[in-house]
Amino acid sequence: MSERTIPTPVKAFGALALLALAALLPLVVTEPSQQNFLILILMGAQLGVAWNIVGGYAGQVSLGHAVFYGIGAYTSTMLLLTLGLSPWVGALAGGGVSVLFALAMGWPCFRLKGHYFAMATIAVAEIVQILVTNSEFLEGAVGLSLPMDQSGWGVLIFLSKLPYYYVILGLLVLTVLTAWAIERSHIGYYFRAIKDEPEAARALGVSLTRYKLIALSVSAFLTALGGSFYAQKEMFIDPGSVLAGAISIKIALIAILGGVGTLLGPVLGAAVLITIEEYSRTLFGSTGSGTDMIIYAAMIILVAVFSPSGVLGLLGDLRRFLPGARSKGPDMADKMEIRP
Amino acid sequence: MTADILFQVLVSGLLIGLIYALVAVGLTLIFGVMDIVNFAHGEFLMLGMYASFWAFALFAVDPIVALPFTALLLFAVGVIVYQTVIRRILKAPMLSQIFATFGLMILLRGLAQFFWKPDHRLIPHSLVSGNLTLGSVQFGLPQFVAALGAVGVTGGLWYFLHRTRLGTALEATAIDREAATLMGIDGQKMFALAWGIGAACAGIAGGLIATFFPIFPEVGANFILIAFVVVVLGGFGSVTGAFLAGIIVGLIEVLGGFLVGPEYKTAIVLSLLLVVLLVRPRGLMGKA
Amino acid sequence: MRFPVATTRNWFAKNRFDDTAAPGRRSAITRMLAATALLATTALSGLTFATGTARAEDEIRIGVIYPLTGAAASTGVELKAAAELAAAIVNKEIPAPAGLVAGVGMPHMKGAKIKLVFGDHQGNPQVGATEAERLITSEKVTALTGAYFSNVTATASQVAERYGVPFLNGESSSATLTQRKFKWFFRTTPHDDLFVTNFFTFLNDMEKKTGEQLRSVGLFNENTLWGNETTKLQTKLSEEQKFTIAEKILYPAKTTQMTSEVQRLKAANPAVIMQSSYLGDAILSMKTYKELGFLPKMLLANDAGFNDSEFLKTMGKDGEYIISREVWALDQAERNPLIKQVNDLMRERSGVNFNGNSARAFTGIAVLADAIDRAGSTKPEDIRKALQETNIPASGLIMPWKGVKFDEHGQNELGQGIIVQVQGGQYVTVWPFDVATKPVVYPMPAWDKR
Repeated sequence: MSERTIPTPVKAFGALALLALAALLPLVVTEPSQQNFLILILMGAQLGVAWNIVGGYAGQVSLGHAVFYGIGAYTSTMLLLTLGLSPWVGALAGGGVSVLFALAMGWPCFRLKGHYFAMATIAVAEIVQILVTNSEFLEGAVGLSLPMDQSGWGVLIFLSKLPYYYVILGLLVLTVLTAWAIERSHIGYYFRAIKDEPEAARALGVSLTRYKLIALSVSAFLTALGGSFYAQKEMFIDPGSVLAGAISIKIALIAILGGVGTLLGPVLGAAVLITIEEYSRTLFGSTGSGTDMIIYAAMIILVAVFSPSGVLGLLGDLRRFLPGARSKGPDMADKMEIRP
Repeated sequence: MTADILFQVLVSGLLIGLIYALVAVGLTLIFGVMDIVNFAHGEFLMLGMYASFWAFALFAVDPIVALPFTALLLFAVGVIVYQTVIRRILKAPMLSQIFATFGLMILLRGLAQFFWKPDHRLIPHSLVSGNLTLGSVQFGLPQFVAALGAVGVTGGLWYFLHRTRLGTALEATAIDREAATLMGIDGQKMFALAWGIGAACAGIAGGLIATFFPIFPEVGANFILIAFVVVVLGGFGSVTGAFLAGIIVGLIEVLGGFLVGPEYKTAIVLSLLLVVLLVRPRGLMGKA
Repeated sequence: MRFPVATTRNWFAKNRFDDTAAPGRRSAITRMLAATALLATTALSGLTFATGTARAEDEIRIGVIYPLTGAAASTGVELKAAAELAAAIVNKEIPAPAGLVAGVGMPHMKGAKIKLVFGDHQGNPQVGATEAERLITSEKVTALTGAYFSNVTATASQVAERYGVPFLNGESSSATLTQRKFKWFFRTTPHDDLFVTNFFTFLNDMEKKTGEQLRSVGLFNENTLWGNETTKLQTKLSEEQKFTIAEKILYPAKTTQMTSEVQRLKAANPAVIMQSSYLGDAILSMKTYKELGFLPKMLLANDAGFNDSEFLKTMGKDGEYIISREVWALDQAERNPLIKQVNDLMRERSGVNFNGNSARAFTGIAVLADAIDRAGSTKPEDIRKALQETNIPASGLIMPWKGVKFDEHGQNELGQGIIVQVQGGQYVTVWPFDVATKPVVYPMPAWDKR
């Protein structure tokens, strides 16, 4: 085992190289719609990594994350529209509200297991969507528009795509660092204990509910930040665009596609899913015959069937066929296996 | 609110509730046998509706007459889906399974739009069109027949699972696959059978609903959330539970919508689900 | 509470993201790099494919954003067919009917051809914005049009506004769209304010005509942006004009049953129902009315689902006598021969008649093409100026409008609505009375007496 341990500097170097690559990418990709495409990937990645904290590490499958996303988007936007509060503060407030909501929702729901928990999260998210749709205060289905006459770092509204790119890249880095810190801390071990051996963990005195709540809260906070970013970028939110069930599913899909419970899997998952989504629509969507949906769906099914542990696992499988890779010891794919 | 209106609301709720149960039994059966949530169940329903529509449009066969054919066709679809996709993800984690059936859902919608256009279709008149009046209460004959169908299908399924050799084998596989295999039951065959029967139930539901509901590629989306609620409320895997839960959901939805406001009818049903889950974390009749 | 060391070790060994059992980590990073490279290559090659398409100098690209998949796909496909017909006429692929104003042949642009580049917004505002951005920056379109759904039009036109690209909307009726005071946004269709006002004027006219009270109304609208805004306007006007609202219902779209809704309406029993529904809901509600034996004296529908080509096809005689606000009706051909000529072309190409939506989509492209031609250039500023100077007479349109002329916020001030009724399987104009081709059938005949 020891000869394959990679020294920390090498890992740090790899991570920094990746970050530098991401930071420099907009210098090559200059067309706004392509930058927008990259931003969509980073947005998806950020949500996937955030979801992974509760859905992957702690193994609590939430299919209702849109509720946190929506809370983030609505809180920062309402604070901006009513009090003129900067979205920097608004986003943090949104994160706070989101955490409170996560605690209130998690407390009772964490009694449920497996599919029951997943369904409960769907139900909660749907209820919130219905309530917001009928709320006069939040303008209901009409939605909220951000003012178009201001721009700059204070209001976090920009005419060009570039600042958005760096803001979301920063948010992604923050999210990944959070996940990384959790992974390394004792909290991370507890999470995995809860996921893999809940009975043993309980027997050893780990408060399951407490650590599940921590996982959900952290995840909710980060997801809410992503929601605020969405509002700032699209400058229009309504229940359908930030609270819909489809968003919850997509967030989970990103993590699953990349590899559940891996630090950077969701980043890869977002890159793959958003690329498939955007290109199948761009290239085939204009026919109006549903071809884009067919291609998108076929890709999803293929990944699910041939690489249940996500694309990251698939790449691991491919590596085995490379010359020299075989001698490296235990099968990578085994290491990538995820548990139900 | 007068007694007449109350009675009318209850009858409407009961009818729609039975229809929900009809949609949900197939879903819960598949789950019960193999612990897989089928996100594409609404699309099986959609295929059933289209099968009825084409039988009517091309061969002038009434949806009711075509029911056996629709059921058989969907049985085949279920088995094919099992053999091509599900069989390969049996051992995969729950999330990948969700992922696969979710992909299947999108795929079937896309295919329906591709082959049959996104238009809304309707079967203009069938054997069972028209209204029934019972005193002051009115309801549609198609809904009534569909509700009868729900009772029949659930009853038939119950009989099959508990009183026939094949059904008992299926139940045995559901309870303990390893043990069932040792007893000489072919697990693979049983799983394929579960998918076939589950899809056939959706097909029958589709054929009955097609007599009064518009048919379009996305129609499954209208039913799937409620179907899930019914399955969870009844307890994953419990056919009788789903039947009971369907009726409860229908009644609460129509009554709640009428009393509180239609905009909140789904929210009321979902809140009920949460409350029940908090008291009974395995649903009304779910296995521990 | 901490784990005993031994137990923790155990998990150490089990977990892939753990340091001591390192095989995962390096490979994860290498895999990430490999994957990124792989993806970047595919993505960029895809992008080059998209942008690198050869483009003739004399081609004017217009971005068209519609819902081509998803719940509203059937409408989107219909709109697409209408837009393509307009483009074919502009490009002289089919002979243009005399008098139609559509920049036919583009004489001021040296006979350039227009090319429609379609985008699919799937009914999602974010996708709408993404598509608008792509069409502008990557497909280099000269102008944009679409997007049917008001909330998608809102985000897509916001993108156009940022880039300074003209956005001509032909078929979204939310009043707020032109209240945003955008510089680059133009809308040919009248908006909900006018439509709802028409309803009340029509009811006043009907009261005078029939001598009956039609003061109690039931509002029955779907619960998205459109239904919400309509409800607000209807409530406001009811108060101003002394109508009583017997029942107000916002129902969730994508529903499986409407019995609770219809029960409430039945209990309140208003004389007039004002309803806003998309196609699926429109069909389902009509079926439920009949099933529960509910029949108002008058059903005033707010276009959309009730005027979809599919509606009458599927409803048959149960769809009869619905009264609906409209922007277009085939029987207006009696007054404007252009309507019949263009409709015949539509029938030839796609086998269906125009309806309010597709006629407006057609008109949107026609007005845009005319403006581009008059601008004599594809510079956004020139097109915007030409759009502002637009002054198309009623005789050059297939719409029953007084013409097309934009006010300072981009709203066409000469648009007007008509009210149609289904009679004998046709939508016939019944109001304003001076353009009506048939009298109103009132009250609605019972379900079994048709």
